This record gives sequence, structure tokens and C-alpha cells, in this order.
Amino acid sequence: MDTKVRFFELTMWPHMRAAYNLARWLVRNDQDAEDIVQESFLKAFKAQESFRGSEAKTWMLAIVRNTAMDFRRRFKAGLAVPLGEQGYEPEDDSPDPESALVAESRREQVRQAISHLAPEFREAIVLREIEGLSYREMASALGIPMGTVMSRLSRARNLLLVELGGVKEVQHDLP
Amino acid sequence: MTCREAGPLLHARLDNELDMAGSASVDVHLSDCRACAAQYQALQNLHEEIVAADLAYAPGIALERKLADRFLREEKPRLRSWSWIWLNASVMAGVAIAAVVLIAFIPMLRVNSSDAISAEILDNHLRALQAVHQVDVPSSDQHTVKPWFQGKTSFSPPVPDLTQDGFVLVGGRLEVIHQQPAAAIVYRRRQHVIDLYVSSSTGGDSKIELSELGGYHLLHWRQNNMSYWAVSDVDATDLRTFADLIRAR
Repeated sequence: MDTKVRFFELTMWPHMRAAYNLARWLVRNDQDAEDIVQESFLKAFKAQESFRGSEAKTWMLAIVRNTAMDFRRRFKAGLAVPLGEQGYEPEDDSPDPESALVAESRREQVRQAISHLAPEFREAIVLREIEGLSYREMASALGIPMGTVMSRLSRARNLLLVELGGVKEVQHDLP
Repeated sequence: MTCREAGPLLHARLDNELDMAGSASVDVHLSDCRACAAQYQALQNLHEEIVAADLAYAPGIALERKLADRFLREEKPRLRSWSWIWLNASVMAGVAIAAVVLIAFIPMLRVNSSDAISAEILDNHLRALQAVHQVDVPSSDQHTVKPWFQGKTSFSPPVPDLTQDGFVLVGGRLEVIHQQPAAAIVYRRRQHVIDLYVSSSTGGDSKIELSELGGYHLLHWRQNNMSYWAVSDVDATDLRTFADLIRAR
């Protein structure tokens, strides 16, 4: 079989679902997520000479993530909402009626809470809790040091705990 | 370990990112400090809640097909080249000659007309592969494809959704096979196109028969007064899986 086709089938295709999931969480609507996945696949396909047998999944996710960030910069530059102190930002697409119907459900509350996190916290939660990446894989996919992965993840989780009415700020005994 | 030291490590402990010694020292602290233990419990609950919510978004079939078309279709083996068609034609001519020889020299042997139909099916499949439009009704939705055949055929062909099993519905078209109207239902397995031909049949149910012609696999069976042919260049195991899925519906 053609080596390019093999590359596509073995290196890119298996991570299509993860690629779509990350893109969908980052841009928060189906059509943009599909465009980003297609653009990312094209970039990956063209860059296959530079793929040196590192982790295919994190390699693909890094491309998707950068494409999504470019997308946000390109199309949302004029609409960008400054991040609140909480690290939340409003959802930019209109709420779909289906969501409204089930807004009371706990699952939807969790989804909304993650969706409203600022992108750097949202991607940390998605990669760790939904895609199950290790810290090392996250560092590779996000292009940040492990220490930054850990601090973003812990900040993101604390924000979610507050938002979802879990344990509030914990009062520690003085050491 | 102080609470200040333990704070960031609670996440690493939860995510199984600590070595044994690290985990042990966090666990010692958790058994001593109720506040940190409560925080850890909350983080664990949050983790379990997110996992249980199953929040991954799945791509639509349309996207899968776009990607497969874009990256696989243009790289397809040179089906369209004339030399290949001639080769294929000569293979079929060989089969035809063999059939004639059999009929001429062994008149006692009843030659099943299914051989002629095999060749006709394969011809039809190849013609469709070369055509710009492989389907009259392009749709990945079984509820669009199935009703389309109503009034066009005297039978109702099964059009199951096999996406979960890796066979993506492409659409359907109407064909005439052996002077009989036949429904051709088109699926795709990766870059391979599978045509499923269905026509009415008077024979009883039969097992699946495999034949191979010019690098193509053909499966034939009869079920519920319908005759089925599945043809593709996909490998025989995949085609067999496909046939078993169709038979199970």
C-alpha cells in the first residue's frame, strides 16, 4: 500500500475522534470543529516527513490545538471577551434548545461548567479527564512544561469545584 | 508534609503521577489532615463525575467521509487505468472460456448460472467505480436510502446502519442484474467501496458462497426470498464480516 495512505491510516485516522473532541471543546460548535479537524489533518498529512515516531496521538492533538488557537485568533479577534478574574468566559454560540431542555440535569451542569472555563483550563480538563492523557502527554500536546500542566489542571479543577458546588475554599489548619 | 506542600500533590496523587514514595507520603498526610482529605475526596468525586458524564463529542459520519475521501480516494490503486481493465477483462474472458469448455466437454455437469451472474455483478461494480456518480441516492442515513427504493423494487432491501462496525453507508442506486431489478446499496470500508446487490429470489435460504475474480471478492447468499451479492476489493475477512452483519439484520 502507498506509504502516504499507510501514514494516514496508522498515524492520523486512529486519533480522529480525539482530534474532533478536542477541537469541539475548544471552539464550541460543530461546524468550526469539523473545519479545524480537516485543516489539522491536512497540516499533519503535509508534515508527515517531519513526524519522527513520537507519540502520534499527542502529535495530532498538538496540531489540532494550535489550529484551534489560530482559528480563535483569526475569527474571534474582534469579539474576544477579556477573561474574568474567575477564569470563566461566556459561551459565544447561542444556546441550543436541546441544551436548554436538559439544563437541569447534572450532566449538563458539568458540561456547561467545563465549557465556560477559559481555554487553557478547559483544554487541560478535556485532555486529562476526558481523553485520559498523562501529564507528560499533556505537556507534549500543549507545548508547555509539566509544572505548568499541573498548575493549570489544579486551577481548573478548583474552579470546577466552586462552580459545581462541591467543596468550597478549604480552610487549612496552620501547619 | 505540610498542607501547603500537599496541595499541588493531591492532583498528582489522584492522576497516578506520583511514584510509590510520593504517593505514600501524600497518603500519610491525608490520614492526618481532615481538610486535605476532604479536598482530595472532592477532587476524586469531580473526576468520577466528569468520567461518568461521558462528555466526549463524537464526529459525524459526514466528517469521517470527507476525510476518507480527501486522503484515501486520490491514492486509490489505479482502478481506472486501461491496462488494468484489459487485464481484468482478460481474466473474465478466461473465466468465460473455462465455462464454455466445461459446458462443451462435460455436458452432464449442470453449470450453475450464478457464475454468469458473478461476472455480471463484478462488471456492474467496476462500471460504478469508474462512474462519477456511484449512487442515485447519496445518503449516509438509512432512513433516506431505504424508502428511496420503495416503488422502484418489488422488495424492500435491508439498509442497516453499520457505522459502528466500520462500514459507512454511502447511498443506493437501482440496477438491473440478470434482467431483474436489483437494489445496489453502497458502503465504504476505509478506502474500499462495497456494493451490496439485492434482488428477489424464489430459491430457499442458502449459506454464504465466496468466489474471487480478478482480485475482487464476491459473496453470495439467499435469505428471506432475496438474493444477495456483496462485491468489493476489500479483503475476504472484512467482506465476510460485512455479509454476516447484513444477514443478522
